[in-house]
Amino acid sequence: MSKTSLERGLNILREQIDSPTAAFFSSCVHCGLCAQACLFYTETCNPAYIPIRKLEPMRRLWEQEYTLTGKLKKLLGLSRPITHEELEQWQELVYNSCSLCGRCSLVCPAGLDLTYMIRKFREGMAASGHAPEGLIGATTRAVELGSPMGVTLKALEAQAKHVKADSGLDIPFDVEGAEYLVLLSSMEIINYPEYLQAVARIFHQAKKTWTISSEAFEATNSGIQIGVSDIAAELVQRVVDAAEKLRVKTVISPECGHAYTAIRWEGPNLIGRPFGFRVRHILEVLDELREQGLLQVEGVEDARMTFHDPCQLVRRGGVIEAPRNLIRMVARNFVEMKDHGKMNWCCGAGGGVSANEDAAEIRLKAFKRKKKQLERLQVDGLVTACANCRIQIEEGLEENDMDMPVIGLTEMLASHLKDEEAREGGAT
Amino acid sequence: MNKERTLGEILRQQGVSRRGFLKFCATTASLMALPPGMVPTIARALENARRPSVIWLSFQECTGCTESLTRSHAPTIEGLIFDAISLDYHHTLQAAAGSAAEQARESAMKENFGNYLLVVDGSIPLANAGFSTIAGTSNLEILKEVAKGAAAIIAVGTCAAYGGLPHAKPNPTGAVPVSAIISDKPIVNVPGCPPIPVVISGVLTHFLTFGRLPDLDHLGRPLAFYGNNIHDRCYRRPFYERGQFAESFDDEGARKGWCLYKLGCKGPVTYNACATTKWNNGTSFPIESGHGCLGCSEPDFWDMGGFYRALSEPIGLSARTVAGGAIGGAALGAASGLLNRKKKAEALARHEKIGVDELKDGETK
Repeated sequence: MSKTSLERGLNILREQIDSPTAAFFSSCVHCGLCAQACLFYTETCNPAYIPIRKLEPMRRLWEQEYTLTGKLKKLLGLSRPITHEELEQWQELVYNSCSLCGRCSLVCPAGLDLTYMIRKFREGMAASGHAPEGLIGATTRAVELGSPMGVTLKALEAQAKHVKADSGLDIPFDVEGAEYLVLLSSMEIINYPEYLQAVARIFHQAKKTWTISSEAFEATNSGIQIGVSDIAAELVQRVVDAAEKLRVKTVISPECGHAYTAIRWEGPNLIGRPFGFRVRHILEVLDELREQGLLQVEGVEDARMTFHDPCQLVRRGGVIEAPRNLIRMVARNFVEMKDHGKMNWCCGAGGGVSANEDAAEIRLKAFKRKKKQLERLQVDGLVTACANCRIQIEEGLEENDMDMPVIGLTEMLASHLKDEEAREGGAT
Repeated sequence: MNKERTLGEILRQQGVSRRGFLKFCATTASLMALPPGMVPTIARALENARRPSVIWLSFQECTGCTESLTRSHAPTIEGLIFDAISLDYHHTLQAAAGSAAEQARESAMKENFGNYLLVVDGSIPLANAGFSTIAGTSNLEILKEVAKGAAAIIAVGTCAAYGGLPHAKPNPTGAVPVSAIISDKPIVNVPGCPPIPVVISGVLTHFLTFGRLPDLDHLGRPLAFYGNNIHDRCYRRPFYERGQFAESFDDEGARKGWCLYKLGCKGPVTYNACATTKWNNGTSFPIESGHGCLGCSEPDFWDMGGFYRALSEPIGLSARTVAGGAIGGAALGAASGLLNRKKKAEALARHEKIGVDELKDGETK
């Protein structure tokens, strides 16, 4: 059997339904608070987008297969079986209008981790053949070419040459025994190569050894977004193999939200064993360097700046203080959005939404939430730490005729690095 | 406010016309089922009444009763009557705080001993005196002390009248109503959660006019307001007679305004004036908004078996049924747990690795 089918999808769901899922489904009190937490609901007021409702087919399967009343209901024909037609209808709800941002999980008074369940539901959707084309394409490229956007090693090497020309710094490939293994997201390689240069300059100043693996440079994990754990595990395994081969101490997840969740939080569970190295987000590493006095900056910006928290960093990952410590080093007028930190609003394009062409319309509708936040704040610029958030925000701003620079935090810090010559001259 | 002025003077000063005043007297008379000939008597009595001193004690309550009375609508003649009594002590409304507040209560008690009205909202905890105290004194003690010099007591709200929500099973605070503690004073129960504002002002008017409290039913409620049940006065009653019931809150019947009996309306066993006086300045009452009556003016309405359970369904469970159910449930639970584990293990065993090729090929492609 080498193709998707309804039975295969349902079987996967039976595997995925675990005791937390059962506890969650049985403790939902239908209060509707998750609706108000979800930007796809608040920006459309469409009740179809109420987070718990997005799980309805999975809930029914759980009820029918794992509860007595559900079994009786099914026997008496009171509970409809799950069909292809229904799952097809749900595709939009599970993939297009959920960015796995986790806000609903946080507000649920009964403690339901809705995001955890949607992630599981996607496993069943993918195995039954209801994953969106865009995500299937991205996943295929990730497995076959090593990057969801089809970015090859050649393209990365070309960017490395540009960095060398600009900064005079070599980008180290496959250096055994380096302290850090730097991963990159395809979006950074193509859209924001400044990130690579910023990392090179910061580590140069801090005198840290680092490397990129030519075998596993991609940080993103389409397997998680589409919901196929087998593929997600394979993609994680590539990074683990590379890190262990190069004997690095720390693997650095780049400015990307879900890549961090994938490698740090889901990774060991996916491959079924602990890693022999640390995993940190680039902001955590920079904050460590700051603490050790290895990140020396000069010049403070006067512009009114705010920070957009990538959901996977703050809510699912707990990286809340690091970006603030870092921004305050270089920005005098840093202001917070009303809901910031762990309660931030998603940009609207996470969790695979941006890789899914069908979701383009709803994604820009969902952006209205961020737009309102930015309008209230009246800032001159926005800093973030996720290439995916950045692309969505830039597109949203353009769509809404708002003119505002969006910048990655690592880049911003690199632009304030103390001048190499001056520092060395001062030290001697 | 000068205590020596009469109500008539105060009301005129507040801009209430003679005509408005008489209309209020007539409304009150008809509401309380008094003969029309009594209207001039009421008017005369109110005109010349001195502002009586009122002490308002709040015990285990939510302040909903006070909210209902003070915020129900823009100043009306009922509101002005309230302005026209001397409310000497009321937690929520008084400006004084701390010992000054308690002093106000004590001096009002001394000055008007034997003549003041005591209004109580909230129930009194007996399980532990410390559960609810005011300035370090337990509710029980304050109630006994203030009741001593009261001409009469008005128990406002279901908590003060029958124990209300605090008294609901399992009654952790040992909450009791005023009538369980005070037996030597006339007590009027004005239940409701909260009660209708006009009912309070009606009872006060009656007291001012006749110098005594109105006639009460067997539960201590003024007959004038609690003489009929909601069901008999409900505008949806004709649907009940025809057997037209809403079966759910969003079905055709609900949209057509049919009877809400099957959705748990407690109108047939609830005695109150909602269906006639209505709420929010006569706008509507709960059934008019599409929700059944909860029965809030009846004793123990919280324990009547669920707000959405129809009255004729059997309610309440015996200890034996519960124990039997629990044992059966535990056995079933254990059995289905084992079955579920087996099912999940089978699903895991059936798992075949999914790769990119599978994603691109399938039944739906």
